[in-house]
Amino acid sequence: MERRKFLSLTLGALALAVVPASVRAEDFRKSKPTVWTAKTVDDAIKNLYGSTTFIDKDVKLKTPDVAANGGAVPVNFSTKIPAKTVSVFQDSNPEAAVAVYSVTKYDATDYSIKIKMAKSGTITVIVEGQDGKLYRATKTLEVALGGCEG
Amino acid sequence: MSKVRVKAKLKKGLVNVKALAKHPMMTYNQAEKKTGSRDNANFITHISAKLQSNGETVFDMSTSQFLSKNPIFKFKFKGAEKGDTLIMTWVDFKGNTATGKAKIR
Repeated sequence: MERRKFLSLTLGALALAVVPASVRAEDFRKSKPTVWTAKTVDDAIKNLYGSTTFIDKDVKLKTPDVAANGGAVPVNFSTKIPAKTVSVFQDSNPEAAVAVYSVTKYDATDYSIKIKMAKSGTITVIVEGQDGKLYRATKTLEVALGGCEG
Repeated sequence: MSKVRVKAKLKKGLVNVKALAKHPMMTYNQAEKKTGSRDNANFITHISAKLQSNGETVFDMSTSQFLSKNPIFKFKFKGAEKGDTLIMTWVDFKGNTATGKAKIR
């Protein structure tokens, strides 16, 4: 009986602790400064989420196969997973991180941005679900003309 | 000079937003090449959007120097009504800010 009580109490406390975190907006520049200086995608992800175990599904990522202009590569990504954060990385620039979104309760998690790529490389999109798991989508593309000199 | 142009359109319950921020988005390497010092790098670090009616944040993004020059942000969100106003604000590395508004159509 004692142990059962303890279990239900801790589970309840955990659930309470998790809920506010999902609706809070966060400036990741201030809270996770090491993410933005990391040189590789793996390091940046580790600095942001503390893990590099992914599930490769349920994230849609759309980019052109060949980008004519590396100065503005269009990237579209969306997911149906209830998410906490969504982040974008690439491996062709000196640092890996491009952007981190904190998903609000209004968000439809359907974004598109234009990014700079110095040379051909791989774009990685990570979705941190509210279940705490990391979902990943990657896409390798060619850049005909490097846009931003790093 | 610096401002945000925003368009917001309600379509099947989702508000489609397009925002254009006018900003050079200078990376460290570009700054070094053009001005001789990496310290002149400047880029948008944080951009967010909120509704005027209830002040709730609907979109929130921390960004790095690898967004394109004069970056365009597109996103969708739900739970807003026609006629409400969307306010977008960005902050850059040097602490400058700019705000743009759009009525949801």
